[in-house]
Amino acid sequence: MTYSSFIRSEFLVLWRRKQDIFNALLFFIIVVALFPIGINSSAEFLAPAAAGIVWCAVMLAILMAVEGMFKEDYWDGSLEQWIVSGLSLPLLILLKVIVQWLVVVAPLLVMMPLFSEMLYLPSLSFWVLIMTLLLGSPSLFFIGAVGAALTMSIKQGAVLVMLLILPFYLPVIIFSTLAVKAAEAGLPYSGLLAMLLAMSLLSLVISPLMTAIAVKASVN
Amino acid sequence: MQSTASLTISNLWIERGERDLCQGLSFSVQSGEIVRILGDNGAGKSSLLKTIAGVFSPLEGKISYVGEDVTFDRSLLQKDAIYLGHSVGVKSLLTVVENLRWYCPDVSLGVLHEVLELLEITNHVDVLVKNLSAGQARRVALARLWLSNKTLWLLDEPFASLDVRGVTLLEQRIQQHVLSGGLVVLTTHHDLLTLSSRDVVLLP
Repeated sequence: MTYSSFIRSEFLVLWRRKQDIFNALLFFIIVVALFPIGINSSAEFLAPAAAGIVWCAVMLAILMAVEGMFKEDYWDGSLEQWIVSGLSLPLLILLKVIVQWLVVVAPLLVMMPLFSEMLYLPSLSFWVLIMTLLLGSPSLFFIGAVGAALTMSIKQGAVLVMLLILPFYLPVIIFSTLAVKAAEAGLPYSGLLAMLLAMSLLSLVISPLMTAIAVKASVN
Repeated sequence: MQSTASLTISNLWIERGERDLCQGLSFSVQSGEIVRILGDNGAGKSSLLKTIAGVFSPLEGKISYVGEDVTFDRSLLQKDAIYLGHSVGVKSLLTVVENLRWYCPDVSLGVLHEVLELLEITNHVDVLVKNLSAGQARRVALARLWLSNKTLWLLDEPFASLDVRGVTLLEQRIQQHVLSGGLVVLTTHHDLLTLSSRDVVLLP
């Protein structure tokens, strides 16, 4: 096993499981579409709420995608093979999380113009929303990976993952929606984006190590 | 592959879920040797192999490979070893070739097809592994023994779900491996037909 063959097989497996990714995206679309239908479809209500709606839906969709990311590897014995491969386990996990992030977030970003129109998001803050998604979503994946690794040996672990990692998702969602609000009000928002980037970088450093410990503990 | 390698286990003590397994176990394996681990169900045969491979850490004791102490950093041993466990680590959503390319990316397609032909899975090269039988999936995992050039083989029940022909092929390959200086540690409930091994018995 090499790092490049690992990345290739991860992409291939995700491609064969595209239904799961598609389900998460469909879930995102449904949640976003329910707000105008269920509450109020006027621009006065939707425009200020748009960033919050998009972020809540993104968070839930990512949670769905991340929750079972190690399950199959655990049950088919691949995790043992990662550990005995002689490659660095935290690095393998980092690569896996990056692959997952690319596959889930890229289609979300592509859909975003459509949804910002639908929710009357002011065009001024559209790019800020995209920036918050790009800078904030990596930390959601990295934090989620720790939760997924802790619960992979449990058959029905989805709710447990949510309880474990949802509190850590709250700062990301708070800073993201604050940044979009600040942009709408014409206030400086670069500090809030910097906070999101800081959270992502911090989780990028810590999460692979913690996930590796959790993986080893679960295999044991 | 290294021509003279040795694996030495001294005074090994493994603990699994509050149970002590193979307390104070010592043995060594030299180039060209097959060691068979025997013991009742639950005696710790699989745990022992996993501990040597580095999936678990032992509670006490020392593991040396080619004279180096690898108890705490198993990477020297892992770079030169193949471990096949109960779950063989074959991805059900990848095809046979994709699975083998994942583990052995440097092997040419020609060699790959030769080995698959030998193992009689050529007809299923582009079939997803989830559509293969248990025995065929195990043959896919075992194909790594033909494709990679590692010295130490740690095989946990390698003959499980193989048919007679598969068992013969695998025994031939193991024989060939030890003749060229390899080390094999295996657990099995089958009697070895053509191979002669040294037995290590784990007492409960």
